[in-house]
Amino acid sequence: MEISPDAWVIYEWRGLRLTATVVFTWAVMAVLVIGCGAVTARLVDGEKVSRRQVMLEVVVTRIRDQIDDMGSGDPDRYLPFIGTLFLFIAASNLLMIVPGYQPPTGSLSTAAALAICVLIAVPLFSIGRRGLPGYLKTYIRPTPLMLPFNLISEASRTLALAIRLYGNVMSGTVIVGILISVAPFFFPVLLQLLGLITGLIQAYIFAVLAMVYIASATRERSPGQGDDAQISLKKGD
Amino acid sequence: MQIDWLTVAAQIVNFLVLVWLLQRFLYRPITDAIGRREQRIADRLNEARAARGEAEEEAETLRRRQQELEERREDILSSARDEARALRDRMEDEVRKEVEEKRAAWRDHLDAERAAFLSSLQRRAGHRILDITGRILSEYADTGISERTVATFAERLAALDPQTRDRLAEAASDAQTAMVETGAALSGAAKGRITRALREALSAEIDVEYREDDGIVIGARLTIGDVTAEWSAARYLDRLRVELDEVIDAGSHAGQSGRDHDADALDRAPA
Repeated sequence: MEISPDAWVIYEWRGLRLTATVVFTWAVMAVLVIGCGAVTARLVDGEKVSRRQVMLEVVVTRIRDQIDDMGSGDPDRYLPFIGTLFLFIAASNLLMIVPGYQPPTGSLSTAAALAICVLIAVPLFSIGRRGLPGYLKTYIRPTPLMLPFNLISEASRTLALAIRLYGNVMSGTVIVGILISVAPFFFPVLLQLLGLITGLIQAYIFAVLAMVYIASATRERSPGQGDDAQISLKKGD
Repeated sequence: MQIDWLTVAAQIVNFLVLVWLLQRFLYRPITDAIGRREQRIADRLNEARAARGEAEEEAETLRRRQQELEERREDILSSARDEARALRDRMEDEVRKEVEEKRAAWRDHLDAERAAFLSSLQRRAGHRILDITGRILSEYADTGISERTVATFAERLAALDPQTRDRLAEAASDAQTAMVETGAALSGAAKGRITRALREALSAEIDVEYREDDGIVIGARLTIGDVTAEWSAARYLDRLRVELDEVIDAGSHAGQSGRDHDADALDRAPA
């Protein structure tokens, strides 16, 4: 049973393999960009707004409000990164209902790639906000003795994010596969529904966690604040 | 389960491209549209606020103007009321004065009528008395009285003042006939006596005619040409009548003026 799209090689040329992960990622990208472009090409400023535009406005406004709720300030600065994380993961997971489609988020490579993006984005945003010396100082806080622990924290954070996304999406696929062999009819349908929900929740959690990391890195550190947010979110998960 | 690092790199690139594409096609247009709409709503709100402020100002101005109008209406009404009161007072005064004048005129008229009535009554009473006196005299004008009348006539002729005598003599020289009228018929002796007395008085031979005239009552009238001399009760009565009229007229005039004074005093007293 093929459970990772990474193993599904569609095209190979001189050792460069074009896996299903990349192809489905392109498909998701195409769907997202074409769908959004079709709506935003006919944007209206007036009171009479089309349903699609309202939907996009609600999505964007919601994401921006969520970012704003994290307390980092200036949500428009983080909106493209966090919003894209959410939309990409959500779209990848929701397209599971299309027959023959395999979500690219079920691949550990994709999860790792997204986690690496977050890993790089956190210090970049922090440097952009406070400058390089200000960012580097956060590693020796509260004392220089904490430097190794801070480094471990950064690495484990990235790893946790990757595993979280991969594990959840892949587990959904695995469970569906197992249940199809046990009870071919009703259970898989219910679990597909459940998978849609968990996919959305995963997208939400991934994006929010990324935002929390960024916020805790960019915010002037007040003792315990960032950790509290992290703990509460983990409880929610 | 292993990580394909090539795929990881490709996915990172894919993700970054997707970030850029979505920023290009989703976030910026939507954010801009929302911003524009909010800006327009804010503009409209500001416009509405400004318009409302203007409207409130206008309403305040109108209210003030209306209040001024109300006050002015009050003023106009009160001045009109004052004017009407003054006009009513004036008209009342005029009417009262007019009524007073009419009343005074009426009272004057009444007084005048009363006076006229009194004077006419007096006059008629006097005349009646004189008539009665005349009738009594004429009833009693018998021969004895005629004789006495002739005697008196003769005495009077003798005692004529020179002027009258001259005029009579002058008339007698022109006219040949003298006429003597008496209230009662005269005897021949009496006639002769008168003729004699007349001729003596005038020192002229003149014919004398005799005639009776009831209007003379007692006494005689001598007419020579156009000169007349009369000694009679009627003449006395006439003179008495004239004097009576004069007295009554004078009396009524005096009474009239006296009553006017009284009326004035009465008019002033109740006020």
